[in-house]
Amino acid sequence: MDLLASEWIKARSIRTTWLLVAGTVVVTVVVSLLGISGLLADWRADLPADFDPTGISFKGVLVGQILVATLGAQTFTSEYATGQIVTSLTVAPRRAVLLATKLAVTALVALATAVVTVACSFGASQAALAAAGLPTADLPDAGTVRAILCAVGYLVLTAVLGVALGAITRSSSGALAVVVTVALLVPALAPGLPGLVGDLAGTYWPTTAGQASYTTAGAGGVTGSAGLAVMAVFTLWTTLAAHVTLRARDA
Amino acid sequence: MHSSNPVILQAHSLVKRYGRLTAVDGLSFAVRPGVVTGFLGPNGAGKSTTLRMFLGLDRPTSGAATVGGLRLAETPHPMRVVGAMLDARAVHPRRTAGDHLAAVARAGGVARSRVAPTLELVGLGAVADRRAGDFSLGMKQRLGIATALIGDPSVVIFDEPLNGLDPEGIRWARSLMRDLAAEGRTVLFSSHLMGEMELTADHLVVVHHGRLLADQSLSAFITERTTAHVRARTPDRPGLLQALSRAGVHAAPDASSTDALDVLGSTTDHVGRVAAGAGVELSELSSARDSLEDVFLTMTSTQKEAA
Repeated sequence: MDLLASEWIKARSIRTTWLLVAGTVVVTVVVSLLGISGLLADWRADLPADFDPTGISFKGVLVGQILVATLGAQTFTSEYATGQIVTSLTVAPRRAVLLATKLAVTALVALATAVVTVACSFGASQAALAAAGLPTADLPDAGTVRAILCAVGYLVLTAVLGVALGAITRSSSGALAVVVTVALLVPALAPGLPGLVGDLAGTYWPTTAGQASYTTAGAGGVTGSAGLAVMAVFTLWTTLAAHVTLRARDA
Repeated sequence: MHSSNPVILQAHSLVKRYGRLTAVDGLSFAVRPGVVTGFLGPNGAGKSTTLRMFLGLDRPTSGAATVGGLRLAETPHPMRVVGAMLDARAVHPRRTAGDHLAAVARAGGVARSRVAPTLELVGLGAVADRRAGDFSLGMKQRLGIATALIGDPSVVIFDEPLNGLDPEGIRWARSLMRDLAAEGRTVLFSSHLMGEMELTADHLVVVHHGRLLADQSLSAFITERTTAHVRARTPDRPGLLQALSRAGVHAAPDASSTDALDVLGSTTDHVGRVAAGAGVELSELSSARDSLEDVFLTMTSTQKEAA
């Protein structure tokens, strides 16, 4: 409990935390709206048959996830960069406990951030779609509710992944490079990969599967909650790797 | 204010290797409560690595560094056992001094109410709301010392605590370390400067190339490793040399002056008597010892050749 309070003081006393929180909300909403504004130009033209008004509300998560992962990563990387980690580990020498505490505080901050981000992005996008006379999402629909919850879950998992990568790389730029590769580059390149590798990478790659979880389109492969589960398992393994790394290495 | 039990720091055949480099090479020593122990060695002697192993930051290749017989991670309340400052700059520059100390206090289960008095103690009471990044090195040093002391620990470990302090700050830090020891705490501080040790430490642990060169009280170190000599100045240097030689005392003229000479293995009393007996006028008579700095340099340079 004391360590949680300590990590909370650390998180809230740095302006970076709040800039990243605000940045996640704003950037996600703006990018989602930009995605829709692209449709507006030729909305009279045929919409794709599988037009997904829910999924399109969360296009901005693609960029927002980078910010929320950075929020997680900097809980460790800022301590390694400044040397604060020495004090933290002297005061709390059990490294697994320090990792668990940072994960918990980050998950809570990310949860609050994700709820606001997803609510704003969904609300603004639906309003924009409605104003343009395009089809909107059906909120009482189970698929829509599931997609909304999965979008929140995906952002929280990305933040947790960020903490783990921060502990492993110990460097903001290193963590950012891995996050961009995992969350953006591989999903973008996977369809171009040949044969089975491309199929597997395009379907089971954790962030690809995770990103599929907040759409209602059933595009085959891993969709819905199963996609989020793939992301969760990947995050869990990375967290375990962070635990092993923290224990084994000198601070 | 300090009430907990005395705690001994102990290095047991401590070894730390980084690949081929051996930073600490079989160190064994104990640091006891109630006195200020100076951890002396040239840069790269393995001091910081040893301190980091006491704090559980680095894992020994073999051997153990224990605090009260336990590794720090095994102690129930680490912050009440050990407080440390390894690097004064190791603080987040954007966080205020007050928030920094509050985070540290809460992590160790210490009430936030200790923050204000601890900042007062180190003379930073007025700048609690300022960011640590705006502090001078001396102020960061004080904040680092506050960070070490907030848990009211039985052991305090400071790595080069006097670096970057102005003369007044150095005097303050010295008297603080003495006070902490007088309260029954175990105080270990490192330095690569013998001069700092002479004025602050009661006990010396000297290391070089990761090996122990000395582990003894400062007074024993002085009497065992330095020789006393008497310095005399006289208008009649040949006369005094002759008289001393007749009395069986070995003396040598000081080449850097025309009227001074150095006497080995004697006392000012004896030289004074010899001079009076011979009717030689003295213009100065004083006793001196080799400087500890010289002794330290000799110790570490002979080690270097041996290695």
